[in-house]
Amino acid sequence: MWEKLRKPSVKYSLIGLLSTGFIAGILFWGGFNTAMEATNQLEFCIGCHEMRDNVYKEYKETIHYSNRTGVKAVCSDCHVPKDWTHKMIRKVQASKEVWGKITGVIDTPEKFEAHRMQLAQNEWNRMKASDSRECRNCHSFDAMSKEKQRGTPYKKHMAAKAEGKTCIDCHKGIAHKLPKEYEEPEDEE
Amino acid sequence: MKFSKSLVSALVAGVAAASFASGVMAQEVDAAKDLMKQNKCTQCHGMDKDKDGPSFKKTAAKYKGKADGEATLVKHLTSAPKVKLADGSEEEHKVVKTTPPNDKAQVTNLVKYILSL
Repeated sequence: MWEKLRKPSVKYSLIGLLSTGFIAGILFWGGFNTAMEATNQLEFCIGCHEMRDNVYKEYKETIHYSNRTGVKAVCSDCHVPKDWTHKMIRKVQASKEVWGKITGVIDTPEKFEAHRMQLAQNEWNRMKASDSRECRNCHSFDAMSKEKQRGTPYKKHMAAKAEGKTCIDCHKGIAHKLPKEYEEPEDEE
Repeated sequence: MKFSKSLVSALVAGVAAASFASGVMAQEVDAAKDLMKQNKCTQCHGMDKDKDGPSFKKTAAKYKGKADGEATLVKHLTSAPKVKLADGSEEEHKVVKTTPPNDKAQVTNLVKYILSL
């Protein structure tokens, strides 16, 4: 078998082989990306009860799902990077989550609560390390209007920008409940 | 003898009731603290330090013992009234968000906790 694969073809033309490979390549790549995009759908995420009954339920009541204009950010908008390289890295890391699903690490609400702080911290660290890249796909300091944003938030945003702070520094728990172990820093100005 | 027996049982009942009550109260305080955390109240109000808004201790001192104190504060937290900030500017106060939405009992519980400070 291996011998045969290594020998040059006697039956097919080089152009035939190349074009077959080319088309097969397109189909494979298209299929791969389509499959990966499918795992970015909200419906895919809430296909598991772990997500549907815990974080999804909370998120539905927050500004990123329910708001005046009906623009929403779904799970992957915040939790999966948009650009290809970072997305691939994140998807490979997510294979650990599949293992978690199989072994049932958070398969009851009680177990989920027990792990909430750890899970949240993982995500906070990831966001902090990327300078809240996924937030910034939509939000930017520069586009905040002094006239349209309320005074106190505007003041705090501009101070945060000057100090080089990142979104997640202040906006933990924006789309999910804060863990019970989490304490708000008393002096966050 | 009989008297002391009933005294003992009364004591037992009393202690049980008290510990039950404090258990319930601890639960209510936890719920209030959690609601405060989820709504990030401490961004603008320190427990005993004024920030953009007055400290909770100050609020407690102002409304404690007033007949309509609780109702006033519940209204304050649910109707987005205009408030004056430390720097003199005016802004709408945030409406406290609960799960399930608009659960007045949770807000009342929070107000009771603030008034107890």
